[in-house]
Order: sequence, then C-alpha cells, then structure tokens
Amino acid sequence: MEIKETAVAGTLESSDIQIMISKAATGIQIDLQSDVEKQFGDQIRKVITTTLNNLDVTAAKVKAVDKGALDCVIKARTIAAVQRASQTTDQPAWEVL
Amino acid sequence: MDNQIVDLYLNDPKVKKDWQAFLTSLNITNFAANEVDQIDYTIGIYNGDDLVATGSVAGNVLKYIGVCNKGVTNGSRFNAIVSELVNRQFAQHVYHLFVFTKLKYSESFQHIGFSELAHSDEAAFLETGSPDVNDFLAEIPRVDDQNDKQVAGIVMNANPFTRGHRYLVEQAASQNDLVYVFVVNTDASLFTTTERFQLVQAGTADLDNVIVVDGGDYMVSYATFPAYFLASPDQVVTYQTTLDARIFRNVIAPALNIKTRYVGSEPLSRTTNIYNEVLNRELPPAVQVKVIDRTQTLTSDQQVITATQVRQFIKNGELSSLSDFVPETTAQFIQNHLTPLQKRIQEGMNIDGN
Repeated sequence: MEIKETAVAGTLESSDIQIMISKAATGIQIDLQSDVEKQFGDQIRKVITTTLNNLDVTAAKVKAVDKGALDCVIKARTIAAVQRASQTTDQPAWEVL
Repeated sequence: MDNQIVDLYLNDPKVKKDWQAFLTSLNITNFAANEVDQIDYTIGIYNGDDLVATGSVAGNVLKYIGVCNKGVTNGSRFNAIVSELVNRQFAQHVYHLFVFTKLKYSESFQHIGFSELAHSDEAAFLETGSPDVNDFLAEIPRVDDQNDKQVAGIVMNANPFTRGHRYLVEQAASQNDLVYVFVVNTDASLFTTTERFQLVQAGTADLDNVIVVDGGDYMVSYATFPAYFLASPDQVVTYQTTLDARIFRNVIAPALNIKTRYVGSEPLSRTTNIYNEVLNRELPPAVQVKVIDRTQTLTSDQQVITATQVRQFIKNGELSSLSDFVPETTAQFIQNHLTPLQKRIQEGMNIDGN
C-alpha cells in the first residue's frame, strides 16, 4: 500500500500506542518514544515493521509514542494508521488481521 | 466516569469563570484578551461538579493546559487531555503541533512524544508530529562544502522589502560566502507571506550568494514569537524572543553552519529593539551578531527607511517618494497592486505594527 497522506491512530493513554505515518521517499524509518524502550524497543519496532511489510508498505516515516502497549495493540494501531494514510479505510485488509 | 472529556464553551460566563479559577489555582494567570481570544476550542474533565483538567488549542499551539492529579494516577489526566487535543488536531489534518510550557512540565510533554526545541530558565518550547524541525532543515538548499564556508543568516518579515533590507542583505553578502535570508512565514502582515517572499527573492536576485528561505514555524513565527504580531508587554517580548533566539542558536545555526546573524539597528520599533538586545545576549559566542547601522541608508532627504513608512505611503496613495524607500522590484509590485493593498488596509489590516 502506498502512503498518500499523514495519518494517525491510537492515543497517548496508558497501555496504548500512538502511531503516526507519513510519506517517505524510500525505506521504513521508525522514530520510537517509549518508557520501556530499553526492554521492549526492538520488539515494538519489529511488530511495526512486520505489520508494515504484511501491508506491502515499503516507504514510510513512522512516529510512535508508546505507553506500554501489547503487541496486538501495536499491530492494530499500525494497521489503522496505514489504512488511513493510504486512504483505504473502506477496504479493510482482513488477511493482515 | 473517570476521565470523561467534555467540551468547555468559554463564551458561557459561568464556564469561563470556573475555568479561570481552576487555572489560577494552578498558577496560570495570564488571561489577557489577546491570548484568550485566539483559542479555537477548550476541553476539560470534571470530577462531579469540579473541573479537574483542561486544555485548549489556538491554531497549531496547545495552550492553557492545567491538570489536578488529586486522587488519580499521576499523569493519567494530563495524558488524556493532551491525547484528546492532539487527536482532534490530527483529525483536522493539523499534524504539527507546538506547546509553550513552564520548564518543569517540559518532561511531561516529552514523555508523550513531544521534543524540546529550546528552553529558558522559566519556559520551554516543544513540538510534536510531522513535519518536524529536522524535516524543515533537510529541505533547506545547501551549497557544496558548506561546512568550510563562511555562512550568515538574516531573518526578516520584509513587509514589504525596502532599500533598508536590501542594504542589510548586501552587507552580509559582501562579507560572507553564503547568506540565508529567512522570510517570516506567519501570514499576519499587510503583504501576504507569498508576496513578501517573492519581493525578497526579486530584490536579491542579482546577489549570487544569497538563498531566500521560508522561515517556517521556527523563526519569528506566530508559534515562537506571538508578541511580534500582537502588542505585548516588554517582559513577554523578552521571554518569547529568548526562546526564539535559542532555537536559532541551538537548532538552526549548527545545521546550516551559520556563524553570523545580521540585524538592522532598530531606532524606531520597540519590539524589534528588544529582540535585537536578546539576540545580542543569547547568540554569541556560537553565532556572532552584526548590527548594521540603518542610518547608512537614508533617503535623499535624510529619512530613516522603514517598511512602516512605506505602508503609510500605500495607505495615503502617495507613491511619489516610493522609489527612495524601496527597490524597483518592490515599487513595481506596489504600483501594480495599489488598489488591493489599500483595500486590505481599509478592511482593518493593522499597518503600524511590524
């Protein structure tokens, strides 16, 4: 999927993660802010990257503010942000869920 | 329910009174009309009948954020309020947000994804979202081997571009390898941002080592320095200009290898004069400040050239002495657009400020 505009999903409340996706020329660039960065930073990045790959997103700038979200939440927020950013909210990517 | 967020309508006198009383209890006490009037909307959280948290938005700036943590987990209401404000702005496609806050709250904002651009002893200025300052800097044109060159910067509103501005740019261009002219981006002047930018470009087109750049949200913008555009007490001007100067010193100048900032001496504008003093205090030694004496560019009958005077000419339709004050490119533009410019003045555009 192609990122067409900036879009956001998620909140800044406890146990959630806020994902902002914007256009990029090439590659996936993740800027992560998390209180548990030391313990789970790599895992959070991995979930975001895998989800983006499953959605065929090859170029994107991701800004994530984590408040202790579980993997399923990270995945859900990433999918929602990508679908909004690619203007495909009317065609849910069921196979990725 | 806990953390139920509601809209607060400040045009209801009772709501406004409660809101002011709550913020005052948290030591937020500036309710000057020119601050409050800019609020687009305000939200809050009630516990029973008591307001326990609030926040507002004005354009792309979060304002008047106050939270009482009594009886709840520290930070939960703060996160709820900021989260709601941020999401509402994002929903309106405003993806780049700023906040001015007391220094002690800077960390709370950093915890929820804001990054600090500058702070002074009492205040901090942060941004979140995209495009951020790194994106802004990445888009500025650069020359080869810029790090070995002598680079200078000038920030101007140029409302409109005068012979005074021209002289300042010429001086800088003759003394440096490269000069960045940052044009103030905020559209709150008689000449629109696009017009001001084009007139600066046209008026400096013959100078090969000058690059004209949009100042974005980071140089004398409505976000960093609202007092430039609104009449404000000296103390407010000093406080805002300190942050503005530090952003330039800490973020902008190092990225572009700017070692000197040129400013015009300012005999006539109080706000700009304070700004120059603050620049002199804040920028050195990282960035030298060079003040170019304005009296070097008097008109043939010994008047100081100011854009304020040019705007007065436009208002009164006296274009005879215009070319003493502005370069040919600007004069041409004014002659071609006199009627729309005068119409803006008639419609209430303030021309006595900056």
